[in-house]
Formats: sequence, structure tokens, C-alpha cells
Amino acid sequence: MTNLQSTAYFLPELLITGFAVLIVLIDVFIGRAGRNRVIWTLSLTAVVVVGVALYVQPVPGEALFYGSLAADPFSRFFKWIFLLATAIIYFISPYTRQLKDTAQNEYYLFLLLVMLGMFLMASALDLIIIYLSIEIVSIGSFVLAGFLKSDRLSNESSLKYVIYGAFSSGIMLYGLTLLFGLAGSTSIFDVQEALANLPQGSELMALVALVMILVGFGYKISMVPFHFWTPDVYQGAPTTITAYLSVAPKAAGFALLLRVLGITFGADPSIPWEEWVPLTGLPFGVLIAVFAALTMTIGNVLAIQQDSVKRMLAYSSVAHAGYMLMAVTLMNAQALQAIMFYLAVYLFMNLGAFVVAIVVHNQFGYDDIDDWKGLGFKIPLIAVPMGIFLFGLTGLPPTAGFIGKVYLFAVLIAAKQFWWLAVVGVLNSVVSLYYYMRILKVMFMDGEPVDKTVSDHPAMTATVLALMVPVLLLGVYWSPLLELIRSSLRIFSPGL
Amino acid sequence: MYNDFAPILIFSVLSVAFIVIALFLQKILAPSNKGDLKSSIYECGEEIEIDARAQFNIRFYVVALIFLIFDVEVVLLFPWAVVFKDLGLVAFIEMLIFLGILTIGLVAVWRRGDLDWVKMEIPYALGRYANLDQAGSHDSAVEPGRD
Amino acid sequence: MASLESYLFISLILFCLGLYAVMTRRNGVAVLMGIELILNAANLNLVAFNRFGGLAEHLPGQVFALFVIVMAASEAAVALAIIINLYKTFATVNVDEAHEMKW
Repeated sequence: MTNLQSTAYFLPELLITGFAVLIVLIDVFIGRAGRNRVIWTLSLTAVVVVGVALYVQPVPGEALFYGSLAADPFSRFFKWIFLLATAIIYFISPYTRQLKDTAQNEYYLFLLLVMLGMFLMASALDLIIIYLSIEIVSIGSFVLAGFLKSDRLSNESSLKYVIYGAFSSGIMLYGLTLLFGLAGSTSIFDVQEALANLPQGSELMALVALVMILVGFGYKISMVPFHFWTPDVYQGAPTTITAYLSVAPKAAGFALLLRVLGITFGADPSIPWEEWVPLTGLPFGVLIAVFAALTMTIGNVLAIQQDSVKRMLAYSSVAHAGYMLMAVTLMNAQALQAIMFYLAVYLFMNLGAFVVAIVVHNQFGYDDIDDWKGLGFKIPLIAVPMGIFLFGLTGLPPTAGFIGKVYLFAVLIAAKQFWWLAVVGVLNSVVSLYYYMRILKVMFMDGEPVDKTVSDHPAMTATVLALMVPVLLLGVYWSPLLELIRSSLRIFSPGL
Repeated sequence: MYNDFAPILIFSVLSVAFIVIALFLQKILAPSNKGDLKSSIYECGEEIEIDARAQFNIRFYVVALIFLIFDVEVVLLFPWAVVFKDLGLVAFIEMLIFLGILTIGLVAVWRRGDLDWVKMEIPYALGRYANLDQAGSHDSAVEPGRD
Repeated sequence: MASLESYLFISLILFCLGLYAVMTRRNGVAVLMGIELILNAANLNLVAFNRFGGLAEHLPGQVFALFVIVMAASEAAVALAIIINLYKTFATVNVDEAHEMKW
């Protein structure tokens, strides 16, 4: 499809760009007084307008921009996740004490640009777009992580982020150039064709390219051993940004990983997802399984000894990437469905937990677990939802986290492969119970019951309660979400 | 297309392994007993007065960064210029939009005062040059806390 | 001498040098230089594959390389800005001296 025709299907991204330019202009031409408010309103408007554009956008039969972007239902599902996460972060930002005395224009601008990058990540069909979109998301996140310019932790986190990020995307780029050399084209479908017709003995080449690309993708989803930035960045960055990074770019990383690895390293893109099989001679499943097991175990084990709640949640987010990677080993339709379901549920649970962390920070101090003592008596309206989020993250019924985990494990069990991985996953869930319940214990068992309850800004309380609803509701009535995901499982392929 | 990568591949694996092994070996083999005496200058050497790497004024970096961005973005004009004739009006408008966004970036940098060598509290663009030479008179023109 | 292999060989050397610099250097700016080496190794790969792959008509490799150059510049700009800011708060540009957070 030519560029001009593509714009009709590219409206959400164009609108984001337009709003970003508008924010820059407002930043330049409106005085300091009241600017934060204006830009906040404009950003929320942007999210709503983009949401409307996304809703009415038709599904094209071809790839956009001469085959470099897909606008399929699969990418649309992920775009909803990004949009929802951005909207929630936008909404709570003015009520966050950490950001009180900062000029927030750039904060909102970069969140918008990161969202643009994630939209592109979810629909990339071309090696150039893969690299560019990952970099757009990364560079925006570097700036956001270091947004508290005079805060030492924030500075340190953005430094570590930029070094790990640039390094791993450089290695990924090298892997992409190898694929380009094999295929002589930047389209991932051509790459697949070239990889499928490799002569005997050249599988090692494909394997090296796969590993190098996994470095870049793994860094985005914080897969062990490319996770080293995660705890430091999550701890040092402003908490709203931590919340954002833990859900949205992770989901974008999974979208990219599923689409790109699924197509390029699959045996045949025309029957891709029902019974996906990797290229012959490529130990795809085993490789991912090892990474998944490592990611879960290291994430959970290191989470146990943390006293900073943000850092604990950071390791827990590493562990959750591991749970989702379990399903990537098989990459069939059922696995995709399970991962998408878990990402949607994880969005609510994890954002909820971080919003509670922001409330605690607003009220009591930084993020040491001691600050959480007696929270159940001080702010029950926040502490009880936090308990539910923690139940969800552990994967206990009756929360949505339980259903999500059941689907993830069902992938392995239904395929009758990688039993050991499922066992590792179950053991890890048990380990995670320990540190999640530690927060719960601190909140409800430690500390004296107090007469006076503290209340935060009603907008925060409302956000926490609003996030609790889907976590509980999807735990008992999840078929609508499952239907949505099933209808979103159409991944663009030229043969279809 | 190119399938005879094997020698290069082997070399690449070996060289990466070499780095890792060398780093690891030096970690465990090399004795590490740092002390004042050991890190001091050998016998007749002069004591160090100041750091050899003189520091540049930080403003150089800011200007260099801004230059870097706008300089490199122009690279994207080259492929456009090569195929411009074949693509016609659409490509022209696309490039106009691209340059327009860049210009907005430039305006933003300019208005925020990042291009000024000495950061003035008085915004240039507002036509307040006249007050500059009257000492002390710029108090009223100061826009508080514009960073 | 001008065969694809020789170009790939040079690019591989550049890549390894970059890798080495990132892993061993303490100075933040030197680490960035290592990352630039990796990116330029990739660029060399792209252009060499394009030249020897008979793709002279479409030049996808060259276009890819241009995008990489632009992205590398923006990344370097952001990274340098972060290092300048680090210098303001920590009074150092050594990456290992910023270690307030452990494990």
C-alpha cells in the first residue's frame, strides 16, 4: 500500500504525533503559570482522541507503507493496552508528590512519544521499523527515568538504563544486520523465506542471529540475563514511570517478540499460529524454555530479600516476564492467547500495586517496607485493594491473576511438552507467595491499630478502586476478555 | 543469500569467548592488593598537581548536542533527494512535514534559551535588549525561574 | 581483497572492540564510544551486504544504515545529556561510582 493510502489506517499514530507537536508548541508559547494543567488536559484529550481513532479504524487487507507496518487486530489489542496504561499514568500524575515541583511538560510529551514507539513496535513488519520503534521507546524511557534531575537515584537509574539499553539494542541491531545479509531484504517475511531455505549446516548462523535479537527483545521485557537494568531503573525512576515501564513497554516487547520471532523463525508464515513449529534444526523451544526458567527463578529469588517495595515489585516484574515466556516456548495460538490474557490482567494488577506504592510515598515516605506498617489500619481503602493486587500477582483465586496463570500453564500441559518448565513455574509461584505475603503481613499485622484514618487525594483512591474491579471481575467472569483476544488473534501475513 | 558465513561465525564465537575468558581469568588470577604505595608515582616521577584531562565548560556540550541532532537529521534528506523526481508531490509534502517538525524542535530549544552562551534571565525574543546596558534595570524584565 | 568476507571481518573486529570497551571502561563517555563502535559495525555490515548482495537497485541496506546513523546520534545526545546531569549530581562521569542501589 502506498504512503498516501496508508495514512487512512495510520490515523492513531499520526494523531499522537500531532498532539506531541502541539504540546511542544504550548510549552514554548504559554507562560509557566498553569502550564502543567493545560498540558495535562491536552494529554488526556490526546489519549481519548487516539482511542476513538483506534476504535473506528478499519482493518486493511494489506500491510501499510509498502509492507513495513501491519494494522491487524493483533496490534490493535496491544495498542489498547498501551493506551489504557498511558491514560492511567496521565490521570494519576498530577497527584504524585514526587512530580510536584517539576515542569511536567516534557514528562507528558515523552510519555506520548513512548506510546507512539510502542504502537510501532506492536505493528512492525520490517527490520528498520523494529530497530527504530525499540529505540523510540528506549530513548523516551531513558529521559523519563531520569526525570527527577536533582535526585541521585533517578540520575543513577537513567544512566544504567541508557547504558544497558543502548548496548543491548546495539547487539540486537547487529543480529538484524545478519538477518538482512541472509535475506537481502528488510521485510521479515523475506527473512523467514531465506531462513527456511538455508542450506544444510547453516543453522548455526540463524541461531546466532536469533540469540542476538533475543538480547534486544529480552532487554525490553527484562528477561534474565538481560534484566540487570530492571531493579535499579524501577527503584530510581519516578514511581509513575516505574509503573508505566513495568506494564506498557513490557507488553510492547512481547508483541514484537511474538510477531517477529513467530514469523521469522517459524517454519511457514502462511499457517503461522494454529500449529506453529520453529524452523527445522533450530532449538527454539529449548532456548526460550531455559531463558524462561532462569527469568522466573532469579526474579523470584532476588525479590525475597528486598526491603524497598519498588525494587521488590521490579524483581516480581522480572519473574512475571518469565511466566509469560513459558508460553512463548510453544508460540501456538493457545500460547498467544494466554500471553495476551496475562498481559491484560497484569496491566491492572501491577499498575494497581504501583499506584498504591505512590499513595504510600505521598503519605509516609520513600518506599521502604517499614513505611507500609499498619497501612491496613491507616488507609484501609487502599490497603485492601493492595491485598487483592498481591493475591492476583501471586496467582491466587478468585483474582484474575489465577485465571491468567492457569491459561499459561495450560499451554504447556496441553502440548505435553516442557513438563519440567511447568514444574519450575509452580515452584516459583510458591516462592513468590512468600514476598507478596510479606507486604500483606506488614500492612495488616504489624503496627498499631489507629483511630484516625489517613486519606489521600480522592482521585488516587478512585484509581486504585477502579483498578481493583477488573482484577476481581476478570477472576470470575473472564469470557468477554477471552472473546476479545480470540478475535484479535489475526496476525497479518501476506499469504492470508 | 550468503551462506558461507561459517569461518566468520566461528571467529565471532571465539572472539566473544576470548573476551569473556580473559576478563574472567584476570579477575581470579591477578592479585589485587591496591595500596597507597603501589598506586603512587614511581620513584623520580612528579607528583600530580591537577587532572591531565582539563574539563571543558559544560556549555560546549549543550551546544554540541543540539548541533549533533540537527546536523544528523539532515542525513535523511539524502535518500529523499535521490528519489525525489520519481515520487513527486507526495514526497515533497512528506519532507516538508518532517522539516516542519524539526523546525518546531529548533524553536523550542531557542525559546528555552538553550542556544544562549550565557543564559540570560531576559528572554531575547521578547525585544528586551534595550534594557541590557542599564545596570540593574532588568529586574522588572526577569521572567522568574525560566529554565 | 575487496570481498564480502573482508568487510564482515572488519565489522566483526569493530563489534568486538565495542563489546570490549563497554565491558571494561569505567568512564561513561568511553562506554558510549564502545556502543557507537557496535552500531558502526552494524552499519558496515549493512552497507557491505547491500554492495555484494546485488541489491544496488533498491539500496535497502544503505537506507537502513542512514536510519541507524540518525538513531545513534539521538541516542548519543540523550546519553551525553544524562551523563552531564550525572556529573552535576555525583561529580563524576565514571559509571561504577554511581551505585546507590545494590541488589
